[in-house]
Amino acid sequence: MAYVATRGGERAIEQAERLFRADMGKITAERVNEIKSAMPYLIDRVMGEASLYDEDLAALALAQTGGDLYEAVLVLRAWRTTQPRLQVAAPVAQDDLFTHRRISAAFKDIPGGQVLGPTLDYSHRILATDVLNGTPFTPAAVEPSSKPAPAYQPSVAAWQAENDLVDLPKLDETHPDDIPDVTREPLLFPSKRAHTLQSLARSDTGGALALGYAAMRGYGQAHPTVNELRLAEAEVMVKHPNGTSFSAGRVKVSQAEVVSKKGEKLELGFSATLGWNEVKCISAATLDLNSKGAPKGSATEEEFYLYHTEGVESSGFCIHFKLPHYVTFQSSLDAMRDAKSKKSIHPEPAE
Amino acid sequence: MSLSSLTKDWEPMSYGFLDASAKREIRRKMLKAVAVPGCQMPYASREVPMARGWGTGGLQVSLTLVNPKTTVKVIDQGADDSVNAASIRRFLARVSGAPTTLDTLEADLIQSRHRIPEEKLRADQVLVLQVPNPEPLRPVQPNMSIARQMHADADYGRMWLQLYEQIVRSGRVMQGASYPSLVNGRHVMTPSPIPRWDVPKLHMAEHLTILSAGREKRLHAVPPFTRVEPLVFDDVPYKVEEHGELICGRSGAKGFFMNEIPQDDGTSTYEISDSDYGVKTIRQAEGAQVHLGETWYKNGELS
Repeated sequence: MAYVATRGGERAIEQAERLFRADMGKITAERVNEIKSAMPYLIDRVMGEASLYDEDLAALALAQTGGDLYEAVLVLRAWRTTQPRLQVAAPVAQDDLFTHRRISAAFKDIPGGQVLGPTLDYSHRILATDVLNGTPFTPAAVEPSSKPAPAYQPSVAAWQAENDLVDLPKLDETHPDDIPDVTREPLLFPSKRAHTLQSLARSDTGGALALGYAAMRGYGQAHPTVNELRLAEAEVMVKHPNGTSFSAGRVKVSQAEVVSKKGEKLELGFSATLGWNEVKCISAATLDLNSKGAPKGSATEEEFYLYHTEGVESSGFCIHFKLPHYVTFQSSLDAMRDAKSKKSIHPEPAE
Repeated sequence: MSLSSLTKDWEPMSYGFLDASAKREIRRKMLKAVAVPGCQMPYASREVPMARGWGTGGLQVSLTLVNPKTTVKVIDQGADDSVNAASIRRFLARVSGAPTTLDTLEADLIQSRHRIPEEKLRADQVLVLQVPNPEPLRPVQPNMSIARQMHADADYGRMWLQLYEQIVRSGRVMQGASYPSLVNGRHVMTPSPIPRWDVPKLHMAEHLTILSAGREKRLHAVPPFTRVEPLVFDDVPYKVEEHGELICGRSGAKGFFMNEIPQDDGTSTYEISDSDYGVKTIRQAEGAQVHLGETWYKNGELS
């Protein structure tokens, strides 16, 4: 049978995957642990985009995919979606966040204080090349402040609301079990508030940045001021079957609140995600800020930015163009050739 | 009675990969899609262990329909041996234990990317087409929310205008694959990027076709014996690709959709796109006992 090549195709894909994995060698628990402890911000980014909080699984996904972020996020999402929903945790108010870092660009000082926390913001970005020459880089020890910052702080917007500078959105009283879940139902427009915030929370960092940056540069209607940026830990409060409420642990979260002057009041844009990811939160909050009243089809309109910052969908579609498309191509060729032959029979009159 | 007699042991993966709630949603959306032929039904579209755009919509439908007795065939661009078809077939078999086949006639469930087999499908077969873009209005209206409203209003004026403009500019409708078609006289759908050659196979067909777009989270259906009419003007008839006279250089099969293979000397040869039909033709010529099913096209003409 000269024609049958089925086994060939199967062998080819198997060997291609082996070739990819051969470069990375054996994956061990030690390697996964090393990734987890050496790259917490990468882990955070992956957990946020996967909308799955598990540092071990995120590190494993990175190890398994050789650090291809889109692949790592896809592996985690595909795992996540098959897991049973045991419970929805209790809502967390801003004041309840165990806060590590919290800054506001809107005021010199804020109630609760500016807390720099861990950041590279003011570091000089110089490569520690000595490490490659055998001199390890040992970070200097942190000298704790004599007066520690309070772990729990009110939101800046709360102060602004008290001073009639901003109208806070009405408290959403939806029972946690009834909050719409974008991973279990389709996203339709105009989108539900919960769907918008969930989609931004799991959006691709680069995608949110690209569109958010466009809005910041001037393709949006509102210029953001960072009202409050917070890196914190949130208590995951769940209910035991016997009715008692208990903490299942803490998860790292980040949130950004940006404001813009609109008439006599400030307008709010908000975003939060799992893990510590400041660029994504500021970008996504800027998109949220610009979203209201944005023309259909513009980069700051929700349908546009929610579809196009979905990393699993956008990356998947991008790489699908590698698949053979010769049937569609053949169909187009046929139409082109026919149109061309018609033209040569009936040339257009000279003008 | 004990708890263990009422529950199943823990397993690392659900049967057919998707969990029961995901399958339930897809079953409901498929029923709706069958009830309103050609109308796009939004669904949650779970992630599956394959990249979006690689058949995840078709895969979710197949995973929902499959059981250990379903014989599965998977094709990509007409070929069973295409690498992505091999990958999907292997995955379906791995998570469902279903037997697989290359023979269209033996299959209960056929998942396909961009082709409908040349042999007629029967009432007991289901065709699942992978769909990259479920929205036929996309070229004239990129916003899905507005397009959805246009479908509700049967507002297809811009669609017709686009076809008319192509005729004025190029002397013919320039749409290659994914030819927009009116289903059951009501909804315009994309038949997925199947060639124009394949669209008439959907019209009043005996089999059920489910078209599913995983990335775009929409599925639609063509139930058995449903009208599927390509959008054409009365005086400009629908034209399939001019493949009726082409002969497959490897199998000798004639009058089917072909792949063009460019040659070093500047010419082209042709190979039948439906690879298994080609294989069967060759085996028959070699004297093997082969059952070639009835085909939609006979001598290059739709019968």
